[in-house]
Amino acid sequence: MANRRLSDLGVNPAVGYILGIATFILISELLFTKTEFAKYLVILTGLGLIIQSSEIKRTEFLKIVFGNKRSRKIRVIENLFISLPFTILLMFHMAFIESLLLILSSLVVSNLTLKNTGNYTLPTPFSSRPFEFTVGFRNTFFIFPIAFILTIIAISVNNLNIGIFAMLLVFLNSLSYYVKPENEYFVWVYTVTPAKFIFEKLKIATQYISIPVSPIAISLFLFYPENSAMILIFLSAGFAFLWTMILIKYSAYPNEMNLLEGILIALCINFPPFLLALIPFFYFKAINRLNVLLK
Amino acid sequence: MIKIRDLNKFYGNNQVLKNINLDFSNGKVHGIVGENGAGKTTLFRCISGLEDYKGEISSEFSPLKNHLGLLLTEPFFFSKITGKEYIRLLCNARGISIKDIESRNIFDLPLEQYASTYSTGMKKKLALTAILLLENKYYILDEPFNGIDIQSNIIITEIINKLRDLNKIVIISSHIFSTLGDTCDVIHLLRKGELIKSVEKSNFKSLEAEMKNASVGNKIEKLGLR
Repeated sequence: MANRRLSDLGVNPAVGYILGIATFILISELLFTKTEFAKYLVILTGLGLIIQSSEIKRTEFLKIVFGNKRSRKIRVIENLFISLPFTILLMFHMAFIESLLLILSSLVVSNLTLKNTGNYTLPTPFSSRPFEFTVGFRNTFFIFPIAFILTIIAISVNNLNIGIFAMLLVFLNSLSYYVKPENEYFVWVYTVTPAKFIFEKLKIATQYISIPVSPIAISLFLFYPENSAMILIFLSAGFAFLWTMILIKYSAYPNEMNLLEGILIALCINFPPFLLALIPFFYFKAINRLNVLLK
Repeated sequence: MIKIRDLNKFYGNNQVLKNINLDFSNGKVHGIVGENGAGKTTLFRCISGLEDYKGEISSEFSPLKNHLGLLLTEPFFFSKITGKEYIRLLCNARGISIKDIESRNIFDLPLEQYASTYSTGMKKKLALTAILLLENKYYILDEPFNGIDIQSNIIITEIINKLRDLNKIVIISSHIFSTLGDTCDVIHLLRKGELIKSVEKSNFKSLEAEMKNASVGNKIEKLGLR
């Protein structure tokens, strides 16, 4: 499956794996140098991937094909395999307790099946302008209370870093809403020019991300007025990354974002001013791509 | 009026539409029939601007796509968007504001539920409701009766009749000849990417007989059913 996806992206699978490992190491090393909460972010990312494999349709398929006993074994092996790079990373950074926690969690999750919520519809503040934040919020709603609780902890223990991390967590989460290209029908149906289409997407994203980010940012500004400049820099970077992500998505549209674009984003994490060059580059590329459907 | 002149469509070396010339006039319902792979969906995708093509497609309202309601054979739905949000999404895209979506819900769909949980027929009805609310001039309905219950079938037929009365252009494809017979004023027959003939309502019976003969022939005997 991974081989096919890489081939679809026009990348030789062997090269893709090497680049993927290199990108993983690069991003994780950056994380560990930039924030002391990197290990928690690694656990969250690993668990997020593992939980995805517990989706009911998938687990039922495994049970039907392999039976109860073998499907349990497969799920345990799968989860351990997914958690392996994150476990190695945590151990490399001497976070042994955290790596053990991740292994145990992956074993526990292998017994779980995430059932569909049936007819229950999760209310969202992003309902009036569907779809990215509407769908994204419902898929990742648990991130928001985590971010708010982290902000309260940041203020109560007087640690601005935790607060910044909480704010960036909300931004990082919102980037995931723009990873997959939507069905062409949902671009085609617009009656606007590509430039207006992009502008609308950026406007809605800015308005909607402001809803969960504002209470965090305002609290940090109020409780850490002496660090306003730093908070503002992180806040601006968050917006800039979100805009870049949207532009990258449509610069590759209708295909998925490719490895090169992923590497460019990774470089921007290390050197954010690079975004100033990337934003106009991806903007014009996106306009070009959208011209096909929004003539 | 929608005019199609010398329309050709290639996928690589494979020509899927061959020199199509067609006029779709206002206030008429046009049926497109043909076997699987005859080029019906490709024709629709070309008209709607979803595909590049050689030739010319023109209309009085331009660009055509901005005035077109396109019902796909299998409408796509996001995993966690409700029926109401789906309608709102399409309305927003077209810059149309509808305050009371519930009152326009003529198929009694559970609009507060995720559309992805709908049955095939309900999905079709939702997609149709949405495009009807977009105040289009032209409609392409690819298999609108697929998976639809009898009651809704009757409603859709009446909707198509209403669109005709409103002087809209409606283009329909269906594998069920009787539904086309009930709704269409003219039927265009496609075969292997070519427009074979256009038949007026008065000759639908002979077209149906001809199609039956061409597609069934002695194939049933070949099965050797006992």
